[in-house]
Amino acid sequence: MAVRQHLGNERTTAYTEGPDLVMERVFDAPRDLVWRVLTDPARVTNWWGPRGYTTTVEEMDVRPGGRWRWINHTTGGEDAPFKGEYLEVVPPERLVYTEIFDVPGFDDKAATNTMTLEDLNGRTKLVARTRFPSVESLEGALATGMIGGALETYDRMAEEFAKG
Amino acid sequence: MKTEPDHLSTTFAALADPTRRTILARLAKGEATVTELAAPFDLSLPAISKHLKVLQRAGLIEQGRQAQWRPCRLNPEPLRDVADWVGQYRRHWEESFDRLDDYLRELQTTEQDDGGGNT
Repeated sequence: MAVRQHLGNERTTAYTEGPDLVMERVFDAPRDLVWRVLTDPARVTNWWGPRGYTTTVEEMDVRPGGRWRWINHTTGGEDAPFKGEYLEVVPPERLVYTEIFDVPGFDDKAATNTMTLEDLNGRTKLVARTRFPSVESLEGALATGMIGGALETYDRMAEEFAKG
Repeated sequence: MKTEPDHLSTTFAALADPTRRTILARLAKGEATVTELAAPFDLSLPAISKHLKVLQRAGLIEQGRQAQWRPCRLNPEPLRDVADWVGQYRRHWEESFDRLDDYLRELQTTEQDDGGGNT
């Protein structure tokens, strides 16, 4: 049985499940519209990335085997490029793709994202599941409060140890 | 993302074992000797030492030279790196979902004003 470590906020539910980070959100929009907005190159730029960032869609071919590459321009003036390949495309309910942070040192590792859209009577539940590479147990890494509140304790301990 | 990726993989691998996570949880409460760390487990001291070596190589613990009675102590830096990395990724998506929510509302308002129809 998976132990859920709750990570999200009041709008987005987030938790780990074994090797996956799962995020869920219900949108007040019909599924067809949500699907279009997720998969339209002209629209991705209107929502993807942290607030204040802009996005350039260099490539986005939404079909199995198709490639994508987007560049997030940070508020600090840096570029964060991401790329990958679509594995499964089943409108309007399922999108599976790989994601690579395209800078040297990070670009040999691909995460796999699975997005499913469920129709809830005119609203849409989006479940985004990310499987990180070489993480045998993301759940283990985040479980039992080791990360999160416990880090404050560790910081205080580190300071104590540094005193010798 | 500033974190060195190989270091993260090593940290994750070190954390992937429940015995090692229990060891870290114990060390979070304070230093302990190898003997003290072995106590809760039905494992030999060499078996515990193997786990400690993995944790040491991942930079998660520091260990005294004469392993059996010198204390092990926790080093929180790698854990902070993992939390930062996952936190950044999660925050990226949380904010994207917030923006997506706003954008979907805006699109539907526009469609209503135009008298509906597919965009």
